[in-house]
Amino acid sequence: MSANIINFLIFPGGVFAVLFALILVSLERILVARLQGRIGPVFYQNIIDIVKLFNKETLIPKDAKDFVFKFAPLFGFSGMLVLIYFLPIPGVYSGVKGDYDLIILIYFLALPAISYIIGGGASSSPYAAISVSRELKLMLAYESAFIIIAITIALYVGDGKGVFSLKKIVDYQLQHGAFLFDWKMWPAFVAFLIVLLAALEKPPFEIAHHNDADIMDGYLIEYSGAPLALFEITSALKLLVLSIVFQIFFWPSTLSGDLFINFLWFILKTIILLGFIGITHATFASYRADQGFKFLLKVPLVLAIISLILVLLSIKGLI
Amino acid sequence: MSIITRSPFLFRINTGSCNGCDVELATTAMIPRYDVERLGCRYTGSPKHADILLVTGPITARSKSYLVEVLDELPNPFVVVAVGTCPTSCGIFRDSYAIEGPLDKYVQVDVNVPGCPPRPQAIIDGVAKALEIWKQKIRNQK
Repeated sequence: MSANIINFLIFPGGVFAVLFALILVSLERILVARLQGRIGPVFYQNIIDIVKLFNKETLIPKDAKDFVFKFAPLFGFSGMLVLIYFLPIPGVYSGVKGDYDLIILIYFLALPAISYIIGGGASSSPYAAISVSRELKLMLAYESAFIIIAITIALYVGDGKGVFSLKKIVDYQLQHGAFLFDWKMWPAFVAFLIVLLAALEKPPFEIAHHNDADIMDGYLIEYSGAPLALFEITSALKLLVLSIVFQIFFWPSTLSGDLFINFLWFILKTIILLGFIGITHATFASYRADQGFKFLLKVPLVLAIISLILVLLSIKGLI
Repeated sequence: MSIITRSPFLFRINTGSCNGCDVELATTAMIPRYDVERLGCRYTGSPKHADILLVTGPITARSKSYLVEVLDELPNPFVVVAVGTCPTSCGIFRDSYAIEGPLDKYVQVDVNVPGCPPRPQAIIDGVAKALEIWKQKIRNQK
């Protein structure tokens, strides 16, 4: 019982997850700055930002729905905390061994976006309203591709029968080799990287918020102080969760039986994924809203379906 | 408590400026060689997130109400920096019928960065001075 509480509050959930996720976001800022020839902030910059925001005054707009406005950030934050407790980290932490946790993952991964939508909708700003409608469409576009990728993996692992246990997906790949090095999964891998960028709203999908020239700060526009800090933590935790999901789906390799070395390997793999995100952030400009949705509905969806067909063919023994 | 002064969020408002100072703020302060992010700064899209307000332009009659609104929306404590000659003294526009400046009619200006436009080094120096003032304001508030 007490081990569960430690797993939830200290490692890998809770304190460790929040601090590590915030450091990851700062490292991404440093990487973007270095790629642009700047120096960039210190590696704990986002932790300072959070401490500062908790010390600032919280303003609540006159027309806002007071209760919903204040408590919307908690949806996404608590969802992400639970999800980190839930997910297995290959070689480090075994997670909650459920038989259907892949489905729970799909549900919980939508929670931050839903909390943005609730919070932005309650804040009574026209900019927030536009950004909320964009966030909804964006979610619809990338969630469908994500679900197809998840089903592809479930079918591949179960050899025709869907296996929705993350633990079994990890074990299968530890025995048969990671999906990252399996050519049938390469289209799904590319689709997952695009979905990752869209879910984190990094360029080229910086459509719904942090889009200063277009809709200012989107759904965050009326927030200040502690609720804003919670939103920042939520988006940082989402980065950590998606990098763990990436490792479960495609690259759950471990180096040895030793827990500490596996932990360092996990951090290294996370930073490799972060490098990819940072390079796309520094390289691409953002899509216009309609271009972004068209791209998301065409490219990752088609790639995921190609992978699904390849996997179905290989299950039938045709390739 | 001094650690939190290393995380200022910047918000910039153009009150009828010719865009010279805006170009200096928007690009020069964040391009290679000149970088305010190493002081921990970040441009935000909303005045409600901001700690330091950067004002450019001589405050035209049209933009006055927006400026007053933004000043109301800043959470305490905040620092106001006047970038360029225009918000400091209205510059060459001073006697125009359309000008309602300078900036210190509406709010206590903490840092003036004169120049037309100011050099990027001067802007970064102004932000660094604003950080010191912000630190004192936080101390006084406690």
